[in-house]
Amino acid sequence: MSLIGAFAVAHTPQLLARPDTEDRDLVLRVHAAFARVKQRLEALRPDAIVMVGGDHIEGFFLNAVPALAVYVGQQCSGVFGHYRYTFPIHEPLARHVVEQGIERGFDLLYTQEAKLDYAFFLPLHFTMPEPTVPLVPVHVNVYLPPQPTPARCYAWGRALGDILRDRPERLVLMASGGMSHFPGTDRYADPDTDWDRRTLEVLKQGRGEELSRLTASELDRTGNVELRTWITVLGAVAGVKAEVYCYEPSWHHGNCVLEWPL
Amino acid sequence: MSDAVHYPFPPGRAYPLNRCLYALKGDDEFRARYLADPEAAMKALGLSDEDRAAMRSGDRSALVALGGHPLLVFLAELRLRADRGQTAYEFF
Repeated sequence: MSLIGAFAVAHTPQLLARPDTEDRDLVLRVHAAFARVKQRLEALRPDAIVMVGGDHIEGFFLNAVPALAVYVGQQCSGVFGHYRYTFPIHEPLARHVVEQGIERGFDLLYTQEAKLDYAFFLPLHFTMPEPTVPLVPVHVNVYLPPQPTPARCYAWGRALGDILRDRPERLVLMASGGMSHFPGTDRYADPDTDWDRRTLEVLKQGRGEELSRLTASELDRTGNVELRTWITVLGAVAGVKAEVYCYEPSWHHGNCVLEWPL
Repeated sequence: MSDAVHYPFPPGRAYPLNRCLYALKGDDEFRARYLADPEAAMKALGLSDEDRAAMRSGDRSALVALGGHPLLVFLAELRLRADRGQTAYEFF
């Protein structure tokens, strides 16, 4: 049993860029929640972080739209604004995840080249322990329909959890994304915070499996297409009660940071 | 069929438009060419007269109506504004 921690973290760009459109105190409260995750990671001392992220049409474009993918090279890099970042990949583990995932019936794409989206970078900017822990970035298509269903994400997460628990390393799972937001649409300034709060109550009660029965329409309607990354991790931590570090809805985004203590 | 309201399926006819938006977002070389001569850059990617008119107007709704992916429209616009010095890229 070597899955030792599981988290869900927001990746709202304004948390890093801090433009004057934002409530400064709110941003700092989310930073404090990130700092708590970093402290936990430093205490847990994982050998790798398996991060499930929703690409903003950066690593994968319309030339090929994978539902699920794994970054398996030696390292992965990306650019966000003036930030340029590179993370080491835990290559043996990444390869094992692809091989075992396929063995278990999940037809994963793998890449040694795709750019790494800011969905991965932004939370790690705040939470990556020192020294740097190698990553295994796991992609879930969230913005290009038809996306994998919540049921499929949950099933993949359950398999991923089994795969990770069989490994000798100490491993942490992290979901990046959420909660309600509508970038690029007329609803940008109107996130569905009521839906977010109801969902967090479900997660606090350890009833995360219920999210596997959501529909694609409901996720789209409530600005929660990215919750597929959470639902994937939920598949691996079924029944664990979430500890919410923060839920801080801004004018455009339901910022949440939480842990499923294992 | 997907009944997504906010992030609908990108129709094939909008591929050149989405290709252009994607390149504006992440391809520095293309963006430099676009800023120097938008019409030539767009024609090279096969954008229609209608696509090019919508790109010139910068009208988000028109671009989405033509099949532009809302997230790409959003991110490409931010990137262009940053290059034109109208805002820091991060100011969104």
